[in-house]
Amino acid sequence: MFRLAVKSVKHNPKRLVLTAVAVALGVALAATTFTLTNALSSGFTKLFEEIYAGTDVIVEADPDADPADEDPFAATESLFSHADVEDVAAVDGVASAWGGRQVMGSVLAADFEPTNDVMAGGGPPSQLFNWAGDPRVDQATLVEGDGPTADDEIVLDLDAAPRLGYAIGDTVSVATEAGVEEFTLVGLVRFGESNSLQGATLGYMTDARSAAINGDDGYEQVSVIVEDGADQDAVAEAIGAILPPDTRAITGEAKAAEQTEQFDELLQYIDIFAIAFALIALFVGAYIIVNTFRIIVTQRTREFGLLRAIGVSGRQLRTMILLEALVVAVVSSTIGIALGYLGALGLSTLVEAFSGDIFGTVTLPIDAVLWGYGLGALVTIIAAIMPAIHASTISPMEALRESATESKKPLRLRNVVGGALTLLGVLAIVAGLYLGIEKPYIPVGAGAMILIIGVTLLAAQVLVPLAYGLKATLTRVFRVDGKLAANNIHREPRRSANTAAALMIGVMLLALVATFTESMKSLVTEQFKGNSADFFVFTSQGAIPEGAIEVIEGEDGVAYVTSTGLGTVLVDGATTNVGVIDPETADLAFDYNNEPDFDQMDGGAFIDPSMVEAGFEVGDDITVEGPEGSATLTITGKYLNEGDAQVWVDEDTGHELLGDYPIAQSMVVLDEGVDATAAQDQILEALAVDYPLVVLQSPGEFEQLANQFIDLLLGIISAMLGAALIIALLGVANTLLLSVTERTREIGLLRAVGVRRRSIRRMIRIESMVMAVFGTVLGMILGVGLGAALVRALEDFGFTTITIPWVWLLIYTIAAALAGVLAAVWPARRAAKLDILQAIAFDG
Amino acid sequence: MTTTSTVTIAASMRGGTKDYGSGDAAVRALDGLDVDIAQSEFTAIMGPSGSGKSTLLHTLAGLDRLTAGESWIGEQQITGLSEDKITQVRRDKIGFVFQAFNLIPSLSARENITLPLDIAGRDVDPQWFEEIIAILGLGDRLTHLPAELSGGQQQRVAVARALVARPELIFADEPSGNLDSRSGAELLGFMRRAVKEFGQTIVMVTHDPTAASYSDRVLFLADGRIVDEMREPTADRVLDRMKQMGH
Repeated sequence: MFRLAVKSVKHNPKRLVLTAVAVALGVALAATTFTLTNALSSGFTKLFEEIYAGTDVIVEADPDADPADEDPFAATESLFSHADVEDVAAVDGVASAWGGRQVMGSVLAADFEPTNDVMAGGGPPSQLFNWAGDPRVDQATLVEGDGPTADDEIVLDLDAAPRLGYAIGDTVSVATEAGVEEFTLVGLVRFGESNSLQGATLGYMTDARSAAINGDDGYEQVSVIVEDGADQDAVAEAIGAILPPDTRAITGEAKAAEQTEQFDELLQYIDIFAIAFALIALFVGAYIIVNTFRIIVTQRTREFGLLRAIGVSGRQLRTMILLEALVVAVVSSTIGIALGYLGALGLSTLVEAFSGDIFGTVTLPIDAVLWGYGLGALVTIIAAIMPAIHASTISPMEALRESATESKKPLRLRNVVGGALTLLGVLAIVAGLYLGIEKPYIPVGAGAMILIIGVTLLAAQVLVPLAYGLKATLTRVFRVDGKLAANNIHREPRRSANTAAALMIGVMLLALVATFTESMKSLVTEQFKGNSADFFVFTSQGAIPEGAIEVIEGEDGVAYVTSTGLGTVLVDGATTNVGVIDPETADLAFDYNNEPDFDQMDGGAFIDPSMVEAGFEVGDDITVEGPEGSATLTITGKYLNEGDAQVWVDEDTGHELLGDYPIAQSMVVLDEGVDATAAQDQILEALAVDYPLVVLQSPGEFEQLANQFIDLLLGIISAMLGAALIIALLGVANTLLLSVTERTREIGLLRAVGVRRRSIRRMIRIESMVMAVFGTVLGMILGVGLGAALVRALEDFGFTTITIPWVWLLIYTIAAALAGVLAAVWPARRAAKLDILQAIAFDG
Repeated sequence: MTTTSTVTIAASMRGGTKDYGSGDAAVRALDGLDVDIAQSEFTAIMGPSGSGKSTLLHTLAGLDRLTAGESWIGEQQITGLSEDKITQVRRDKIGFVFQAFNLIPSLSARENITLPLDIAGRDVDPQWFEEIIAILGLGDRLTHLPAELSGGQQQRVAVARALVARPELIFADEPSGNLDSRSGAELLGFMRRAVKEFGQTIVMVTHDPTAASYSDRVLFLADGRIVDEMREPTADRVLDRMKQMGH
């Protein structure tokens, strides 16, 4: 049986080519991602190993510290004092201990010009530390010049200095939260062995200067070198015994392993994301496989009948078809994996050309091979099951029949099953979206899958009247070519429906994403309606420096700046996000969705819907604990949007609880009658002196920026769905191609009675276009419907309007029609080229 | 098998009835038919179009089921067996030669010939294989695909395939129907040799009196019943008989 299956695939590989391409594309998508994430992983594993290579023991905040402990905010503080470092140094077996701290800041390029571009100074951040002078602690070796000994000296890594335009002796500017700091470049260092920093800038300054910039002379971690011959684990344990609470001592080796593990976990999400898209592509591919095998079974009815006559059982026949599918799966998965590997090589080279050496060695990981073959084989076999069962029911008498056509079974069973599945799918989606289930994406995803299959089944029924309905129009426009095309479509409604459905899935997802992103844009626009601020303050450096806000406030024409800070507190023992606003000005600058207005806060707290759900009510007293202090607050109002912060307090309370908190957002309101453009230039000029990375955006600019990000999201998802769409189009081409082979005699007859080649080509093209547009329209209806349902379900996050992306829908329809024509090129040419005599003599 | 006193029965049917369709469109193809096929004989079934001759062959061979009545292959009763069992009987006891489309297009001539043995998982008897190939003159054609063979060669491969498993019975449905007269005569000659030299039992449906003249015994069918039979036929006698039947 196996030999027969292999022979059969080899005998007529052409009819399986497009099926194989479909499977290969899906597999390639998965293999590329696996290879890339694997290379990233090996690249970063090396980085982590180099970071912790020389250090024997690291003392740091304990990531496992229980947040409900006495001091849950320890991790956010400077942990270690000078005394702590000295205590560690005194532990038996410790040769030396060095307190390390990082300075938040960006080394500005020599030719840096302040602009109003949010992304200015973006890219990989600078990593700035205090200099120990010991390569085992710094993980960097001086290769040129000297280390920083005076407080105005700095060293940079040997790649960053030329990249940023600095040579030894130059003055280097660093933008920090405390303003722009200037240094003299005195030396160059190499990180680890090959300075592979994945594109980041590395710099060191003196301990005193770093403490001055941070405004804190504590340390975040202590690096320990043990005495020769001492046992690292034992020393780590001894240090652990004298440490402050919620800190820990860990060997450098273990730390590197831990970091690698955490990074790999992160990469796993990328893999899952890629597998999801590969599955979508393969799901679409499955439709092609079903159709191909279906048609092949029909075409080989006599062959199967003969096999049955000479003693092959139905079961053996079924096995044979599945074996054929397996052969196709193995061949195409192999190609897919190879393509995926090449794709990963190409992509990694391309990415490294822009962002430096971030990948390790690009090798084909075992995951890629396993997932590739697994996905490929699974999808192909599952898709071939129905046609294989169909083949096994062929009676030996079929061998004796003259022609082979698919039997005209009524569509009733298909309709009943399709209707039931559609209903079930809709119910699952509605349940997932509105019943507030724990993991709503599971019923929604499963529901969408069931809905798609249901609609595919029903589509066959819709196609019949549609094709009849279109016949008159097509006949009027294209005369006999149109009539024949319409006939062809409803002659095999199952096949046409499956073909259209493959396209439907891709378009559905596109329409869904487009509906969602367009509604998101509406949300942005909606939110700006409530805005009366003239500018939003941004920085690419994380929190907005306190000093920058003071600069803005000091400018002429500025009425006030209102800021939102964020922090973490415990409310009645539960970890809670807190937002800090200025109640007097917040509502003036921006119409927040709250009741009453923030100026009624009266020293109390506002709570969001999640807190209401947790049982808190206006008028209740809550105990709030912060890292700097605690307070009992009365709930004085509600903030109605979800997802921003759970509890809102005023600035005084904020300082009391959090001390200095990071500012996430600032809005600038100008005095009446001040020219906004002139004011923007004036403020930016003032900021350029000390805070060159802080920029101002007008609401229009900000909205544009937000929309750009939304469009980028749409673009990325569309590109990922591209593979599915290409596969769907291959499916249209494949079905047509196989149909042309099947209709050889008929086409020969048409040619014999005088139909011109051009007409035959046009007939196939019309058929293709109708199927493509039908699939697209179905996909858009489903996609917009699902997108709307999703937006409705996210009402709590502020989504108020469902925006139907008409422009995109129009573009998709036109693209589908064009793609339909494109998909028909090859089949149409094949059909037109058929030799009349041969076509008539053709013996199925 | 030199004595004629004890004739072994290779296949038989009692009260064989076959209806196609239902209601007004119902057609009775076999009408309570009784028949015995003797072993090591070349039996031809003749009759006008619609007389039920193909239906008789199909039901006798277990390709199709009777509406009523019973049939046997040797001692084995076919009627009432499950589809799997009937498939097994066909595989182990029966060979087929059809009018056209006898060969699997993706397999070479040799692979087509040994296909029944491969399916049954039995070994090819090399001596027997060589003998068949020699008689049928297929020696230099074994590696060719069906598409590379002439019609006559394709039918000879089909006969070789039917013979190779040494089935109890070979059923042939118009085996020479698609061939020119010379190739047809050659093919029928081979089939006759198989009966005479190896004692093979063959049942053949044909509407060609010349083809029927190669057989030992001709059964004449009309309206789903056997209306006559003829031993040691010649083409002329068969033709005369057919004329009487209004063919």
